[in-house]
Amino acid sequence: MARYGMVIDLNTCIGCNACTIACKAEHATPAGIFWGKVLEKEVGKFPAARRIFLPVLCNHCKNPICLEVCPTGATYKREDGIVLIDYNMCIGCRSCIEACPYGPRAFYEGDGAYYSGMETLFEQAKQDAPEGVVMKCNFCVDRVDQGLDPACVQTCPTECRVFGDLDDPQSKVSRLVAERKARPLLPEKGLEPSVFYIGG
Amino acid sequence: MAARIDEFLIGVRPQREWGWLVITYLFLGGAGAGLYLVSLYLDHAWAGMLGLGVLILGTVLLLFDLGRPDRFWRAFLRPQSSWISRGCLFITLLILFGALQLAPQVLGLSLLRWESGALSATIVKTLGATLAILVMIYTGFVLSPSPAIPFWNSAFFPIIFFAYSLLAGIDFLILASPWLPGPSLDLGFLERLQSYLALLCLLLVLSHFSVMSSSAVAARESVRLLTRGRWAGLFLGGVIGAGLVLPLLVAWPVAWRSEVQTVFALTVFLALLRLLGDYLFRFLVIRAGLYDPLL
Repeated sequence: MARYGMVIDLNTCIGCNACTIACKAEHATPAGIFWGKVLEKEVGKFPAARRIFLPVLCNHCKNPICLEVCPTGATYKREDGIVLIDYNMCIGCRSCIEACPYGPRAFYEGDGAYYSGMETLFEQAKQDAPEGVVMKCNFCVDRVDQGLDPACVQTCPTECRVFGDLDDPQSKVSRLVAERKARPLLPEKGLEPSVFYIGG
Repeated sequence: MAARIDEFLIGVRPQREWGWLVITYLFLGGAGAGLYLVSLYLDHAWAGMLGLGVLILGTVLLLFDLGRPDRFWRAFLRPQSSWISRGCLFITLLILFGALQLAPQVLGLSLLRWESGALSATIVKTLGATLAILVMIYTGFVLSPSPAIPFWNSAFFPIIFFAYSLLAGIDFLILASPWLPGPSLDLGFLERLQSYLALLCLLLVLSHFSVMSSSAVAARESVRLLTRGRWAGLFLGGVIGAGLVLPLLVAWPVAWRSEVQTVFALTVFLALLRLLGDYLFRFLVIRAGLYDPLL
């Protein structure tokens, strides 16, 4: 069975946030909620100051702490390693948000329309989460099941994201992890994330 | 709902999900279970009933904190891995078992005969005490295993919450003592107990801070916030000063004198100070929870 994962090359990312918008367009996430986003930080001093970018999303960990702390079983992991949330099971206790060190989860309080009280046709068609539950990146599971890459991967203009099967040593992601010494964020937390980073 | 700018920056992030409802539950839930535990030792059924009442009040607040309170029953489903599930079971069992244990004394039900000091009474008390201790400490286990927030990731929390819960439970008992039916309480004894407990809390909190001050980046920042930063006034003045040190300094010399029983105003004042310190401690522990920076 595959174990899906992603490699993100920080040397190539230009912080354009195309992935952030592609995610918004794909999932119609409520206003103020981002399943994927690009963090940034200023480093160095003038005249050598620069900004570094860090695209983040759910890490779909091999040992997901969110799944362990969830009191209802709303958070679950598929055989292919994708960690999902069953909105019908979630009680909105937010223990998963507190437990995850990567910060990709968000609590949806309701009224997620960008024009308050007036859902656009797009939002009416695409927003499916009930209020009072936690939501997060699902690796575009519907696209993956059709053999497509996640929206953020397909959209990235610099091709800094690669998606594939970490269990297949011949896949591009596996080769990047092995050859480019890609590493996950906060490996000391012991959660074995499926998202790896090159450079940075 | 607008996104905050710091959600897009690499750095230490504060936790924002758990607020005053969870904090008040931590306070009331711990105090209620602590009061029930003390009532078993004092053999005071009405104090036990008060403890269960405080616990139920806290649990109702926790229910309102859920995004979907109508699905609360689902929180019982995963005790094999989730401390929240285990806590739900402990609370429910304590309320049911406590009510059953206290019924003979409070309602005079002659069918339930374990109030008489027989073996059955010892078994019932031991079970009740075990459940009360589990309710007092499980919230510490909700916080401590999390690798995300280093300030919470400490084995001290279950012990600290146990000591603080007992402290708050006894303070509730002191405050309610004039109105409680049943045998009269020895306030001098309770005040002496509180002095030892306050000293224990002080040592545990200082030990936790000592460990955290040389821990991960976010834990050090939490310690800085609480000792030199935004929350320093509330922590040093409220939790340490008013909540622990001042009651210790005032109570220690007088708690061993017999007139403490008659100086009710003093014990009430000290109980209020300690309760304020306890609530502030729980508030600050939650608010000072910070995530490590991702890079």
